[in-house]
Amino acid sequence: MHFLAPLFAALTVLGVLPVLIHLHGRRRAKVQPLPTLLLLLASHRRVAQRTKLRHLLLLILRVLVMVAIPLCLAKPFIETRSDLPVQVGAAQSAVLVIDDSLSMNYRPEAETSPLSSSSLLSLAKRRAARLIEALPPGAEAALVLGSRGTNAPVPELTADRARLFSSISAVQPSYRSTDLHAALKRAAQILQTVRRSQRRIYLLTDAAAHAIDAALQPPPDIEVVVLDVTDEKPLPNRAVVGLHSDPAPSLGARAVRVTAEVANQGDMPVKELPVTLLVDGKPVAKGLLDLPARGHAIKRFVHIMQPQPVPAAPDEPGTTSTTRPTDPTPALGGVNPSSGLHHVSVALKPDALPEDDQRHLRLEVQRYLRVLILDGDPRNLRRDDEAFYLEMALRPSEREEASFAITTQPLDEGISGLADYDAVFLVNAKAADIERKQLARSLRDYVEGGGGLFITLGDNVDVDAYNTALAELLPQPLAVIKTTGPVRRVGSDPEPDSGETTQTGAGEHLGHLEKRHPLLLPFSSGRSVESLHEARFGRYLLLKPTPRTSGESADIVLSYESGAPALLDRALGRGHVLLFTSSIDRDWNNLPIQPAFLPLMQQAVRYLAHSPLRDTEPPTLIGQPREVRLQAGDTRVEVTLPSGKTRLFERLGGRQVLTFVDTIEPGFYRVAASGEGGVLRPRSAESFVVNIDPAETDMQRAPAARIAALQRPISDGTLTTHSGQAPTRRVDLWHYLGALLLALLVGEALLLRQK
Amino acid sequence: MTTNLLDLPSLLRLSNLQLAARVIAEGALAGLHKAAHHGSSVEFAEHKEYAPGDDLRHIDWRAYGRVDKYYVKRFEEETELRAYLLVDVSGSMGYGRQHQITKLEYAKLLAASLSYLLLRQNDPAGLLLYGEDATSYIPPRGRGAHLGDLCRALTEAEPEGRSALASGLGFLSELLRRRGLVVVFSDLLPSPPTDLKQERHIGEYLQEQSQLLRARLCGLRAQKHDVIVLHLLDADELELPFTSLTWFEDTEPGPQGKTRLFVDPADVRNVYQQELQRFLGEMRRGLREGDVEYHLVPTSRSPESVLLDILRGPLRGRVRR
Repeated sequence: MHFLAPLFAALTVLGVLPVLIHLHGRRRAKVQPLPTLLLLLASHRRVAQRTKLRHLLLLILRVLVMVAIPLCLAKPFIETRSDLPVQVGAAQSAVLVIDDSLSMNYRPEAETSPLSSSSLLSLAKRRAARLIEALPPGAEAALVLGSRGTNAPVPELTADRARLFSSISAVQPSYRSTDLHAALKRAAQILQTVRRSQRRIYLLTDAAAHAIDAALQPPPDIEVVVLDVTDEKPLPNRAVVGLHSDPAPSLGARAVRVTAEVANQGDMPVKELPVTLLVDGKPVAKGLLDLPARGHAIKRFVHIMQPQPVPAAPDEPGTTSTTRPTDPTPALGGVNPSSGLHHVSVALKPDALPEDDQRHLRLEVQRYLRVLILDGDPRNLRRDDEAFYLEMALRPSEREEASFAITTQPLDEGISGLADYDAVFLVNAKAADIERKQLARSLRDYVEGGGGLFITLGDNVDVDAYNTALAELLPQPLAVIKTTGPVRRVGSDPEPDSGETTQTGAGEHLGHLEKRHPLLLPFSSGRSVESLHEARFGRYLLLKPTPRTSGESADIVLSYESGAPALLDRALGRGHVLLFTSSIDRDWNNLPIQPAFLPLMQQAVRYLAHSPLRDTEPPTLIGQPREVRLQAGDTRVEVTLPSGKTRLFERLGGRQVLTFVDTIEPGFYRVAASGEGGVLRPRSAESFVVNIDPAETDMQRAPAARIAALQRPISDGTLTTHSGQAPTRRVDLWHYLGALLLALLVGEALLLRQK
Repeated sequence: MTTNLLDLPSLLRLSNLQLAARVIAEGALAGLHKAAHHGSSVEFAEHKEYAPGDDLRHIDWRAYGRVDKYYVKRFEEETELRAYLLVDVSGSMGYGRQHQITKLEYAKLLAASLSYLLLRQNDPAGLLLYGEDATSYIPPRGRGAHLGDLCRALTEAEPEGRSALASGLGFLSELLRRRGLVVVFSDLLPSPPTDLKQERHIGEYLQEQSQLLRARLCGLRAQKHDVIVLHLLDADELELPFTSLTWFEDTEPGPQGKTRLFVDPADVRNVYQQELQRFLGEMRRGLREGDVEYHLVPTSRSPESVLLDILRGPLRGRVRR
């Protein structure tokens, strides 16, 4: 211990004063004869122990007070060996790189003392401040941050300590990923501007393996000093590192299966870790998960989402609405009740790094989709009607929650308001009817505007007339009808073995399935695929090769065994056209009576309506730009961050996309847009979620060799002065002594009051 | 009503104890409004119808002549009031607050005053001064000149030695042949045990000594003597008013010297007063149970009022104005 005013320290000998006073008082005390001494003795024996202790305490307190007063005046301090490296003491130009990535939010003491624990970033900031303090006069320094996409707080070398301290103090924790490559590059650029011989980069980091990767190299002729703020202690961590959803059709149209991948980065297994599923911020399910040491585990939740209201389908004269939305249940506290979008997240019990204990998902729940069936071959007998099986597939049971609002309309009636539908089925239509109503033009505009058209064939199809009438819509021109098995004649008994069928074989099954196509998402399991393959096709149309360029070519979703296309998908404008080369009823095939028919048709409608039941987008990570699609007339866009902060973008007229770069927080980002002077309205389809980079959750330290390689002495050997002792730092003690003195005086007053 | 002609310090300045006693006694008598006047001979008290076994000499023949029935005359024998004044002259009786009267001086005043009153009506009064043992004994006499002897003995008495009041009471008990009045002037405080360090339970020792004293006093009462105890205590003993750290020492040293205690009085004052009240309470209760007249007398109190209390109490009707 050292003193700023050591003369005062000599006065600590006054500590013996209370003892001397006590002894003197004892000797000089008045002698008083007392006849009742026996009574006094008896009384004294009753309180002797207590009073003796109190007197002793009083004496000790007074001694300490007498010692503390001169000690305070002497201003004592201690010098501790700093945890800074020896290089700090040399004259130099230095760049401090503070790793402010997500992993630096880790609180090592969070489990034991949650209130007082400091994050690694706080430790790094403190150490950076001490480092600046320890730099010799004349040394210059700059400050760079180690997370991705950040600006350097002090981008040039300066000797202004106040500015450096202020900038270090202003460094805030972030959710960003580590990018030490860019940080070291930036630091090297700053140091290139000086000629000083000693140039160093002090890297204050958690030294995690994901931060100091094998490719990280020190800049030439610049020494890198790694200051590991973790003190090489193990940092166990648990995190949700993956989250996705799938439909769960076996439980209903709105059932989803949410799958979370949870990682345990610690050396100890974790038993019964609570995992919670939250929908729109509310916990809806909880579970427990056992995690192996340094391993992963999967937790699955199945949840039935709440239905959303939808505007009613247009009810025009002459149309037959076979099914109406019947479930008026409003959405519950969703992200946007009218959108069907939900903010789904999975959360763990918070640990030392709570930021990675939650992961988010944007889930679009199946809406009521409005479907128009243009029936080219309507019949009085329902089951003979071309659209019968299609309607049944989209509305299998009156009891099931309605997902589709179906309007069936004969083609010989007036067609209008196509834009009010999400998908249109053109079923076995006659080319003459199409031409007479100029339907091809209307359908093309509809599809190019974002609509979805599903064309099915049948006996009414005249190949040449079709190729002419629907030339701009068909994915490929029709060629010839191929009969490979039993077919049913119109109005005949549906049995395939009746005398009215023309049978040239047993029929053909489906061959190749393009499973990557979104339309075939429900057919991921073996049983559902088997059901598709069981369908037999007695007749279908072969197609001509298309003269279109590769960009316009159609995708073959399903093929027959012969290799001929069965279902094609052509993107047209902002919409899609699906062509099924056989009939949608049982005239040419038995697909409608196969179990696969229902999910195939339902998914086709969702696909055409751009509404597949799944998380619809790849996850956006913190710091990654996000494109927000604008509609015609949009001039203002407001993005609300998960924390409630907003970002407003104006004068966007004429732009189709807004690139949003402020993805700085994990969670659900809401988007609202409006035209000039209009009211901002939620744009649910553009809302998105942002998650943290899972790599940041792994706190495992980089191998010592890798860190050593980063710190290797530079080649010429002139700059490395690693000898000597680490610098010391002064810790003032008189504040604590002052507090102690105050406490002692209060204690003495309390003891005296007890007399 | 007391005369208050002289206050205590003034009385002390009177070198003549006899005169001081007279001043006090006259003051007390002036405050005594009514006193029964009795003859000095055998006096008739009441008639009782004769019953076999009654003394024939006491039959009232005049009554027989008037009512033709035998009545026996009953008499109240009024003997002379033979008083023994026992004054404790142990070392502790020498304590008195600075510049004020000691307990022994106070006892001398009271004893002399009472003697004056008794001798004034020719009742014999004797005196026993007892410290560690009998210092002086003057047998009771009823002559007026006897007061001078008593006052001389009282004046010469000095406080010294350890207290042995219980022995004094035993000594007196053996002297008493006839029924009499015993007045004890003492602080009733036992001397500390000879080896205080060995005495682990001072409370028990105090209790034992106190019980012994009470037994002796009650024993005298059992012998048909009237016993009055004037328990003299100084205000310092009652209040423990000292403030600073003090060496307290014993007033009756044993063979191993004085017992001393270094203590801050403020630390023990409350507990001391509890102990004292317990001691006084036990003494008062024990003596009253034994039909012994007990008076706690702080020495700050005027002697006339104490004397008046005695005259109105146990000596009611026995002392004439």
